[in-house]
Amino acid sequence: MKPFTIAWVNLKRLFRDRSTYFFVFIFPLALILLIGLQFGGDFLPQVGVLATEEGTTATEIVDALEAEPGLEVVPLRTEAELVDQVERGNLDAALTIPAGLDQSLAAGQPAELGFIARPGGTGAALAPVVGEVVQRSLLAANAAAFVSVQGLGDFPTSVALAQQVENGIPAAEVTEETVGESLFPASLGRFDLGASSQLILFMFITALSGGAVLIQTRQLGLSRRMLSTPTSVTTIIGGEALGRFAVVALQGIYIMIGALLIFGVHWGDPVAAIAIVLVFSAVGAGAAMVIGTLFRNAEQAAGVGIMVGLGMAALGGAMLPLQLFSPTLQRIAHFTPHAWASDAFAKIRDQGNIIDIAPELGVLAAYAVVLILFASWRLRVAITRP
Amino acid sequence: MANVMEAHDLAKRFGDLVAVDGVGFSIAPGETYGLLGPNGAGKTTTISIIAGLLEADAGKVEVGGETISPSAIGPKRRMGLVPQDLAIYPDLTARENLHFFGRLYGMDNNEVKERSNRVLEMIGLTDRADDLTKEYSGGMKRRLNIGIGLLHGPELLILDEPTVGVDPQSRNAILEAVEALSGEGMAVLYTTHYMEEAERLCDRVGIIDQGRIKAEGTRRELVNLVGQKDRVTIAAAGGQLQEAARRLSGLEGVEEAGADDQGITLLVVEAGRLLPVILSELSQNGISVSGVTIEEPDLEAVFLHLTGKALRDV
Ligand SMILES: Nc1ncnc2c1ncn2[C@@H]1O[C@H](COP(=O)(O)OP(=O)(O)OP(=O)(O)O)[C@@H](O)[C@H]1O
Ligand SMILES: [Mg+2]
Repeated sequence: MKPFTIAWVNLKRLFRDRSTYFFVFIFPLALILLIGLQFGGDFLPQVGVLATEEGTTATEIVDALEAEPGLEVVPLRTEAELVDQVERGNLDAALTIPAGLDQSLAAGQPAELGFIARPGGTGAALAPVVGEVVQRSLLAANAAAFVSVQGLGDFPTSVALAQQVENGIPAAEVTEETVGESLFPASLGRFDLGASSQLILFMFITALSGGAVLIQTRQLGLSRRMLSTPTSVTTIIGGEALGRFAVVALQGIYIMIGALLIFGVHWGDPVAAIAIVLVFSAVGAGAAMVIGTLFRNAEQAAGVGIMVGLGMAALGGAMLPLQLFSPTLQRIAHFTPHAWASDAFAKIRDQGNIIDIAPELGVLAAYAVVLILFASWRLRVAITRP
Repeated sequence: MANVMEAHDLAKRFGDLVAVDGVGFSIAPGETYGLLGPNGAGKTTTISIIAGLLEADAGKVEVGGETISPSAIGPKRRMGLVPQDLAIYPDLTARENLHFFGRLYGMDNNEVKERSNRVLEMIGLTDRADDLTKEYSGGMKRRLNIGIGLLHGPELLILDEPTVGVDPQSRNAILEAVEALSGEGMAVLYTTHYMEEAERLCDRVGIIDQGRIKAEGTRRELVNLVGQKDRVTIAAAGGQLQEAARRLSGLEGVEEAGADDQGITLLVVEAGRLLPVILSELSQNGISVSGVTIEEPDLEAVFLHLTGKALRDV
C-alpha cells in the first residue's frame, strides 16, 4: 500500500533526527513532572484564613476548610497580610473569622464572617464553596447556640454535644454532599490535569512543526518525483497526511502510557482516552497540512507552527485550566480543538466513557475533516502546478 | 514497431511567458533523442509535460499508446524521470531512497532489493550505499538521482541535464551509463545544452530555442542544413563584442555571427580567405583577440545557423 510507504518514510526520517527524541518524547514527560512537582499544589486554589481569636467555632471552620479537598488553607496573621496576599494574587481568596464568634453565637446574635477575593477568576468561584463549608461548620455551633439560648446547658458543652450528634450517621451525608462543590474533583491527582494539558499542547505543536516537513518534501522536488511514478496525487497526499497523523498519534499514545506508568496519571477509560488521542491526531495532521500549504519556506512554517501551537494551547486551556477562564473566554476557547479535547479528557477523568464524550469527539472529527479537505485541495494545486 | 513516446503540438505558458510553443517529436524504442537548447529554451517544461508532472495548455503526449496527464497512472510505469534538480531524501541512505521509489513504482520487496543492488553497482555507489545521502559529494548525489530513475527498468528514461555541475570523471561515467542502457534497448530522452553530449549520445537531436523546435534530425542531417561552412570561434576581450559581431555579419561570406562574453562565433563560407579581414575589423574596433579556432560544421554551428545565437557551455 503506497500511502503506508509514504507514511513510513515520514516516520523513518523523523526518528533519524536526534532532536526528535528530546522534543517529542523526553521533553513532554519532563514538563509533566516539572509542572506536577512545582505547581501541582497550585491547581488547588489557595484560601487564606485570618482567625482573630482562637475559639471552638473558628477551629471548626478551619478544620472543615482544611478537610475540603478542592482547596488549600493558608493561615494568616494580620489584616494587612490578608489584603496584600489577595491583591497580589498569591491567594485566590481569604476568609476572616471575627473575634468573639463563639460568644455572639452563644448569645444567638448573627455572626459576620468576611470573605474577600479578587473580582472574577477562581476567587469569586470559591465563594460558594467556602460559604458552604462555613455553613456546615456552623451547624454544630448553631445547634449549640440554640441549646444554650434555650438555657439547656452552657455553650462549650452544647457544642461538644452537637458535634457528637453531627458525627452520627445522618450528619455524615451532609459532609459528602459538599465534595462536588469544589472547583476540581477531589480525585484529581497532582499530575492528572497537567498531563492531559501537556499531552494536548505537545501533540499539536508536534503536528504543526510537521507542516515544515511537507514543505521541505516539496522543495526537495520529492513530491514531484513521487508524481512521476505511477502514484496518484490522492495517494501522495493521503500518504503525507497519514505520516503526519502517525507521528502525532504515536507521540500522544507514548505520553499517555509514559505518564500512566511513571507518574500514575489517571486518564480514565482507556478506550475513550485512545479515541481522543486518535481524533485529536487527525486534527493535528490536518492542521499540519494546512500550515504546509500556506507557506513556501520551511523555517517560516516551523516558526509559525510553534507560535500558533503555543497560542492555541494557551487559548484552548492547555496551559491554564479552562475552569479558571471567564465564561466569555471559555466560549472563545472552544474555537480551538484544544478546549474540546480538554473537555473530553476532563469527562473521562470523571468516570465518563466514549459515549459521554461523543459530542467532543464529533466536534474534533469535524475539525479534522475540514482541515484535511482544505489542505488536500491546496496541496494538490501546489504539487501539480509548481 | 510503435513509438515509445509521441508528443504533438505541446504548448505551455506561465503568465505572459510562452515557455513551450508547439513542440512535437517522437521517440522510437531503443532510440536516444536529444533536446539541445540554451538556458530557458523550454527543455524542462517540455519534459515535465511528457513525464506527466505538468498539465499542458495544449497538445497531447502518448506513452506506449496511452495519453499522459498528471493523473495518468498506466503510462508512468513505462517511464523513469531523472529531474534536473536533485530529488533525493538527504536523511535517507542511497539504498533507502531506491527502496522508497522502487515501492512507488510498484515493485515488491525482493524485486526492489535485487534491482537496487544492480543499480548501485551501475552508478558506482555500492560502497556508500548505506551512508546518508547528505554526506555524499555532488557527483554522487547526481548519480543516485539517475539511479532512482532507472531502477524499475523503464522503456523510456528521461534525463534532464544530468551532467550539470558534475566533475569530468563523473560526467564521463554518466555518459557511459546512458550509452550502456541505450545499448540494452532502453529509449532515452536526453536534454542538454552541451553540444558534445548531444553529438556523442543521441541518435536524433531536436534543437530547441524559445519554446520551439527549430530543426530535428540526425547529426548529419542537421549539419547538412548549414552547408559547407566553417565555424570560426574567436576568443576575444574588450570593446563591444555584440556590436562587432553585428558588423562582421555584414561582411561578404559571413553567414552568421554571434557574440557572448568569451568572444565571437561565426559561420563563414571560406574561412581561410576571410580570416584576415575579420581580424583587422576586430582590431579596428579595439577588440584584442587571444585565439582563433576553425572547425568543420557541428551542432554548435547548426544552432548558430538556426538561431543566430551562440550555444555556449555555461
Ligand atoms: N514554474 C514556472 N513559472 C514561471 N515561469 C517558468 C516556470 N518554469 C519555467 N518557467 C519559464 O519558462 C521558460 C522555460 O523554462 P525551462 O525550465 O523549461 O527551460 P530549460 O530549457 O529547461 O532551461 P535550463 O537549461 O536553464 O534548465 C523559462 O523562461 C522559465 O523562466
Ligand atoms: Mg531545464
